[in-house]
Amino acid sequence: MLALLPLILQAATPVIVTSAAPEQVAVTVYRDPERAADVPLDLGWLGGRALVTETRTIDLPAGPAQIRFEGVADGIVPVSAIVTGLPGGTVETNRDARLLSPAGLVDGSLGRIVHLRRTDPVTGKVKEEDARIVAGPAGGIVLKTVDGILALGCSGLSETPTYDGVPQGLSARPTLSIVTTSPQAVRATIRLSYLADEFDWQADYIARVGEDGRTLDLFAWATLANGNATSFRDAETMAVAGKPEAVEPPRAQDAPDPAVSLQCWPAGRTHEIPEWMPVPPPPLPPPPTAPPAPAFDGDIIVTAQRRQEKLQDVPIAVLVAAQENLGDLKLYRIPEPVTVAANSQKQVAFLTKRGVPFQTIHALLVQPAPADEEPTPQDADILLRLHNREKDGLGLPMPSGRVAVMAPRGDRDLSVGEGRLPDTAVGQEVNLPVAKSAQVQGLLIAEGRGVWRYEVSNANPYPVTVEAVIGFPQDQLRGALRRMERRNGLPLWQVTVPANGRQALSFRTKDKD
Amino acid sequence: MIRHATGALLMLAPAVAPVAATAQTAQGDLSVTIYNGGRSLVSDTRSTVLTAGRQKVEFPDVSAQIEPATVTLAGEGIGIVEQNFDFDLLTPAKLMEKAVGQTVTIVRSNPATGAETRETAKVLAANGGVVLQIGNRIEVLRDDGLPVRVIFDKVPENLRARPTLSVTVESRTAGTRPLSLSYLTGGLGWNADYVALYDRSAGRIDMQGWITLTNNTGTTFTNADTLLVAGQTSAARNQTRTIARPGTQTAPRERLGDFYLYPLPQRTTIANAQTKQVSFLDVSGAPARTAYQYRSGSLNGSDAFGSATTILKFSTARDAGLGDALPAGTVRVYMRDQRGAAQFVGENSIGHTPMGSDLSVATGSAFDIKVRAVAASREKVSDTKARTTMRYTLTNASPEPVTVDLIQSGLGWIATEVRILSESLPSERPSVNEARWAVPVPANGEAEVVAVFETRG
Repeated sequence: MLALLPLILQAATPVIVTSAAPEQVAVTVYRDPERAADVPLDLGWLGGRALVTETRTIDLPAGPAQIRFEGVADGIVPVSAIVTGLPGGTVETNRDARLLSPAGLVDGSLGRIVHLRRTDPVTGKVKEEDARIVAGPAGGIVLKTVDGILALGCSGLSETPTYDGVPQGLSARPTLSIVTTSPQAVRATIRLSYLADEFDWQADYIARVGEDGRTLDLFAWATLANGNATSFRDAETMAVAGKPEAVEPPRAQDAPDPAVSLQCWPAGRTHEIPEWMPVPPPPLPPPPTAPPAPAFDGDIIVTAQRRQEKLQDVPIAVLVAAQENLGDLKLYRIPEPVTVAANSQKQVAFLTKRGVPFQTIHALLVQPAPADEEPTPQDADILLRLHNREKDGLGLPMPSGRVAVMAPRGDRDLSVGEGRLPDTAVGQEVNLPVAKSAQVQGLLIAEGRGVWRYEVSNANPYPVTVEAVIGFPQDQLRGALRRMERRNGLPLWQVTVPANGRQALSFRTKDKD
Repeated sequence: MIRHATGALLMLAPAVAPVAATAQTAQGDLSVTIYNGGRSLVSDTRSTVLTAGRQKVEFPDVSAQIEPATVTLAGEGIGIVEQNFDFDLLTPAKLMEKAVGQTVTIVRSNPATGAETRETAKVLAANGGVVLQIGNRIEVLRDDGLPVRVIFDKVPENLRARPTLSVTVESRTAGTRPLSLSYLTGGLGWNADYVALYDRSAGRIDMQGWITLTNNTGTTFTNADTLLVAGQTSAARNQTRTIARPGTQTAPRERLGDFYLYPLPQRTTIANAQTKQVSFLDVSGAPARTAYQYRSGSLNGSDAFGSATTILKFSTARDAGLGDALPAGTVRVYMRDQRGAAQFVGENSIGHTPMGSDLSVATGSAFDIKVRAVAASREKVSDTKARTTMRYTLTNASPEPVTVDLIQSGLGWIATEVRILSESLPSERPSVNEARWAVPVPANGEAEVVAVFETRG
């Protein structure tokens, strides 16, 4: 779509060429670096960005011309705009925030003649007279007519100014324009690229535990969101994982207030002699609407602890985004053009892997209870451990995101936990805490001064692998603890607890100095 | 090959009168000097008709953020008596306030017939409501809610639609002559924006620099001769942490004292609420490289792998560099994807950078290069001494070998002394607070550094 409206205004001013829309557009979405992996996207407040690259065709006259770009994203960071492909180069780039609005019309017509239209409320007769705008729009509007000076909207009559035309320089939206000088009239294909706010994306993983209980089927969505009022039709769409540095952009020039508030002189009346007026209380919130009665379909849900929902098998994706390296970042490219619609989100698969082996670990942290509290048993964290290696069935960069873990039960899937994955490079070990287990608990008992016994119980009918980190200060460790394998600098007790059984570790620590 | 465009700004156009944002302005021959801090010097030469003797000369369309104390007015054969800056905005409320004690015309409309009747009224007061005297009656304006138009004879003096400077001058002779007015104003500033296209395999960057002007003075400066001054004219701190080593070369540009000047080659209109960009730098093929850095802040370490920071290194030197001084601004770095399209890979701000400087611009976190710093053990040696073993694990999932600058900081407390007793790779100590290792990490591989620190005190 292309509309060319060359308008010759005055001999001295450049010709205005309007480029209504791009023919081709590419959108690369960057994640909000401040948003944690488990915080969902909020379409009303997107903190990421996008690089928008548009290809436009324009007919340029010889000589100076001003090209106005319409249909750019409203979240544009104007200082990031780059235009290439102009035969005459760019003389200057401007972004004007003076908007066509009631206040803009008054401001742009200041000192000029407008028409003041009054309508008689009884007869409906319309009277018009010429008036010059003397002041406004801030603080009200003052007009001059043949009668004298008067204020608009203070008489109680229905009156409004009408204008002969739109003052120059006012536009419907903040407008990006460039000034160029072409050596001859030419049809040019140019490329406009800019960064825009109000975009975001995230990865969402679905890990489905296989029938064997030892492998996962892994599926990931890239969820792209556009909070702009601009749609990008058939766009080459990409998402970038990793954390590019971002500078708080200088705020785009705020448009002057577009609304006029017609203020008058003080208008108190005799019967309005102010008394102390109690502030009326805010209206009561409407009573909470009762949740609709669930349609009874024969299933009685006894507990809300665990969501039970039917899910299909891991979806089969036809369109899968391809990954490539972009410097030290990862770029995901959707292989065919898609439309990134205004104020909407879109999901495309970017990862499917079947049969990824994993381990389930029950993790515990051994720490003495505060002196004034009874020692209480601690629930174990259930960790899923994967190795992001090709030989372990994976070996792909994994952008940060939420992971929903599903396990089959007969013909339905159950949610068995939810975790968050950080940006994970190839070769890294992934330890994903997905839930707490009350079946596996640890209890630390002080048997004497510096004499401890740690007991792990397993109420499951199968053995579990337990990793307990001894979280005592380094300088209190002694004896056997010092010779133990370490994790992150702390002694690690690894043990397999038999089905419906217990295991215990006795150790001593040094007293604090 | 390095191609340079220095000296004059890169503008290829003949004289172009820019699109005037507002058709009419009282401004004359304008020249504007814009400083980085958002404070600018405006000088405005207006052709003014003067009579002989004392008179008031008005200058509408000055900046609404003018600093009146900085105004100077000069012209042939004039002396200044006094000057006023009137920013008492003309509004309906002000109009009525100034009409107290004066007569106005009121026009009543009959709500049934629409017939109008005119009366003369004296405004007695405008406190909360307007009290009028009409003949011998006293009444409150529109107390009955019926329509009444109030017509004033004139606009009171000193009430303006736009901020206006007025100067009372004494002129020796009558006639038209140019008066030059100059003042400082806030709300008009500039910084630089850079577009760096980085080709990592060739080790080169192409860099374009843009001057970005912003105007929120409330006033449009029409057809102004514009000069930009780079540097801090106030004592505010220049942000220099991107400069690894400041340069000592002088850029081939016009200077004023310690400041570089960037004149725009043609007049331009700086509209209110406008962001304007013009090119000032275009260099291609300057050498650049990528470096990685990871900083461990304390000897407590962390159990999680963190990404190393990607740093783009380049120089502003005459040889093997951009060959220019860089005014403060934002550098946006782009790289080409597999299809050759430029993609954004990060941005950072730079301070005023002299020519000849080495720059290190952090562009983001490296997805594939991770570091973990763990305090593997800690023992007390005596009451005042402790030993900490730090184990640093560096992983590289990329197919290229890399070198990571591993920095352990937090070593230099005021009352403590930290020594490195042993280390698996020799370190350097750039400052008392930091130890630095240049750790080679093989492609798709791992490296480990172990160091034992002794803390005393």
